Amino acid sequence: MSLTVVEGMQSEIFVPITPEPVFTELKKPLSECKVAFITAGGIHKKSQVPFNTSGDFSYRVIEKDTPSSELMVTHGGFDNSDINKDVNAMFPIDRLHELVDAGFIGSLADETYTFMGGGGNVEKFRNETGPEIAKKLKAQGVDVVLCTGGCGTCHRSATIVTRCCEKEGMSCCVIAALPPIAKQQGAPRITAPHVPIGSNAGEPNNIPMQTAIVKESLEWVRDCPSYNQIKVLPYEYRHNV
Amino acid sequence: MSMTKEMALKHLKDPAVFCCRRQKGLKISEADLEDPDIFDDMIDSGLLTLSDDGLTVEEVLGSTLTTDVEALTPITKDVLDKVNEVSAPEPETPAPEAPAAPAPAPAAPAPVPFSSFSGKDNVMHIHIGSADHIEDLSFEIPIGPGMPPAPGMPIPTAPGETFVPAPGAPKKAEKKVIRTLIKKHIKITDAEIGTETTIKDGKITIDEGIIEKALKADPLCKSLKLDVIHPNERHIYTDTIMDICPIATKVEGVLGEGVTKVADGVVFMLTGVDEDGVQVHEFGSSEGFLDEKMYFGHPGCADENDIIIRCHAVIASKSGMTRPGPFAAHKCEDVIIQAVRDQLKTYEGEVVREEKCEDLRREGNPRVVLVKEIMGQGAMHDNVICPTEPCGVFGGQKNVDCGNVPIMLTPNQVRDGSIHALTCIGPATKEMTRHYIREPLVEGLAEDEELDLIGVIFVGSPQVNDEKMWVSERLGSLLESLDIDGCIITTEGFGNNHIDFIQHIGQAGKRGIPVVGVSFCAYQGQLVVGNKYATAMVEENMDAGGFENNIAGCSCVTKEVAARAIQMLKNKMSGVEVKPAEKKWNNDIINANNKLLGLKETVLVESGTLH
Repeated sequence: MSLTVVEGMQSEIFVPITPEPVFTELKKPLSECKVAFITAGGIHKKSQVPFNTSGDFSYRVIEKDTPSSELMVTHGGFDNSDINKDVNAMFPIDRLHELVDAGFIGSLADETYTFMGGGGNVEKFRNETGPEIAKKLKAQGVDVVLCTGGCGTCHRSATIVTRCCEKEGMSCCVIAALPPIAKQQGAPRITAPHVPIGSNAGEPNNIPMQTAIVKESLEWVRDCPSYNQIKVLPYEYRHNV
Repeated sequence: MSMTKEMALKHLKDPAVFCCRRQKGLKISEADLEDPDIFDDMIDSGLLTLSDDGLTVEEVLGSTLTTDVEALTPITKDVLDKVNEVSAPEPETPAPEAPAAPAPAPAAPAPVPFSSFSGKDNVMHIHIGSADHIEDLSFEIPIGPGMPPAPGMPIPTAPGETFVPAPGAPKKAEKKVIRTLIKKHIKITDAEIGTETTIKDGKITIDEGIIEKALKADPLCKSLKLDVIHPNERHIYTDTIMDICPIATKVEGVLGEGVTKVADGVVFMLTGVDEDGVQVHEFGSSEGFLDEKMYFGHPGCADENDIIIRCHAVIASKSGMTRPGPFAAHKCEDVIIQAVRDQLKTYEGEVVREEKCEDLRREGNPRVVLVKEIMGQGAMHDNVICPTEPCGVFGGQKNVDCGNVPIMLTPNQVRDGSIHALTCIGPATKEMTRHYIREPLVEGLAEDEELDLIGVIFVGSPQVNDEKMWVSERLGSLLESLDIDGCIITTEGFGNNHIDFIQHIGQAGKRGIPVVGVSFCAYQGQLVVGNKYATAMVEENMDAGGFENNIAGCSCVTKEVAARAIQMLKNKMSGVEVKPAEKKWNNDIINANNKLLGLKETVLVESGTLH
């Protein structure tokens, strides 16, 4: 039998397009660079106000000497148990200090900024939070910015803020558990380890894996030839919930 | 890409912008101008900034350029020898129609020194080799279905794109019933917590002593509390609403066939905190006053006049955002519900409604499936599939443990409570257990005499990107093997699961299967990825700001959403155009569709949410 049809219907949901390119070439050796690690994964100090899990465009200031034991996660979009075990799984602050000590990178920014990008308000992140974080990092002389996403919309927020940093003249890379989002949303550079959301920077307490993911992401900042390119990293971790 | 004369006539009042670099001395024709229909995309992608001083198409045609001008530059009077005088714009007649679709391609490509386009695969590919401050840039714009293809562009001829009835097909397909399920809705008029579990004269009494037994079901559940909330008592504080679960039980047969009794006028509501008082909160929490925190009447929610039996669980400290913690609460609640189910089995109360559900074939009609993407990411993001009792927990398999692979259920199985939701990601956008037993899309498709609903596929959304792709590939093979003429794909929640959702749409689309997508997107959940097959999409949002507003069950599949999705699918299967979406969420479009179908208006909730 033939189907009833109705003329004039319109699709109700817009499908996104990738925004304009933004790319700042890294012009000095990593060993001389000041690096900042930001995250959209809901990390904050235990003493700070937790994020609103259904959407929050505020950010928290994390001083570089903050012990990882003072950090925690507030995020409703994924299983928190990996970060509860080891905050470096999302925000590898211990690994960064080790890389400074080893001379792989020059220094860390005195303070960095963390936010909870889940369900993030696009306009607010694009026009307020992102530019503000970018300016504060630039003012500290930061050369390289690494960023972990978190959940799906976290990756969107992470990419928006990272793009702001790139526009401000820093060279940035999103370490993506969900590379299609970072790609579509226009991240300047992307590395993609095979990890679940919630342990975007590698398996909890697996120091060699976390170190390798951070190091190779830094190298991708140096080596990535052009805008929006992905490097798949050969590290795999499954969170058996 | 430049315009044809025809297109230019349509765009006389629109901004004039050079499509390519143009040199001094050029007499401007329509072939030199960019098509205004794609300006929105260009502005969004940063390629174009319109100028307040910019002239319109009719003002510049025939004028001569006095200096060289770069591509994608709005034309202003300072670069022209003259500006055409035009009469004052006529008052615009109210346009009932939404803005025009992306433009068809030109009849004859103009000289384009460093730009090119093609329209293969129903996507406009624009490539700019180089221009000032632009290097080697390509971008792609999906061309909506029904758009005339560009010259030289292959016309999509994918199999199954249009459903054509077999020659000699009967006017009305023959109905072949495979199995029947009778749902008897039994009238319940009151409930209380007492000293024994019974149902008498329409009143449910639950023995408070059962709590002790229920707690033994899982050590992570530390305490349970039961109380009854009558419809007139809803301005009462509640912790976060984890689930709404009907009381339903098999009295004959297994899930999907035989006889099921459903308590009418009463539901269980599971709420929870951990031992530290932290809400078992999902992506946003619905704690607050109950009357403000649930969209009463929506499929997953309590109805206006339902009595609510609240089961409040306290689970182990810090277990709220891990997989075992919330599950423990569901498991213990199920022990209590089972005691009531056992009473309902033998209770001979008033049958307020008898619902006859049929699994059937309507051979000759278009074969369709419904794909429901459900969460499968641990924490609260899991679902129990096919428990022993309708809407139960015991006896079912967890979606995560099944590897999130696509699982086919019959429409009757779904309508008999095959899914117990351990749901997450946002009170407003999650589908709770009650949703599935009366899913409007399942009911709508199953009852549609023009279609042949083959089944309902549940597919989990894994938390690892590689696994999302893997699961989606499996779904694609399944869709192909079913030899379907169309499908509707839905997802609860928003964010990372939209990767799989869009991937699933692609799996159908690339096989030439007409596909309609259904999700909450609006403002906060706007798609994070997309592809060219996502051209017929239905929005679930009912929040005024387009946010996850923490009102349980607010933005989910409703009867209206289902009706729009089914109609869009019929249009697609018949080759009738569904116009491309606007660039931003706009509830007017949704209501225009509602109006076309004679559906009630989508009235948005002013929640004041602004994260």
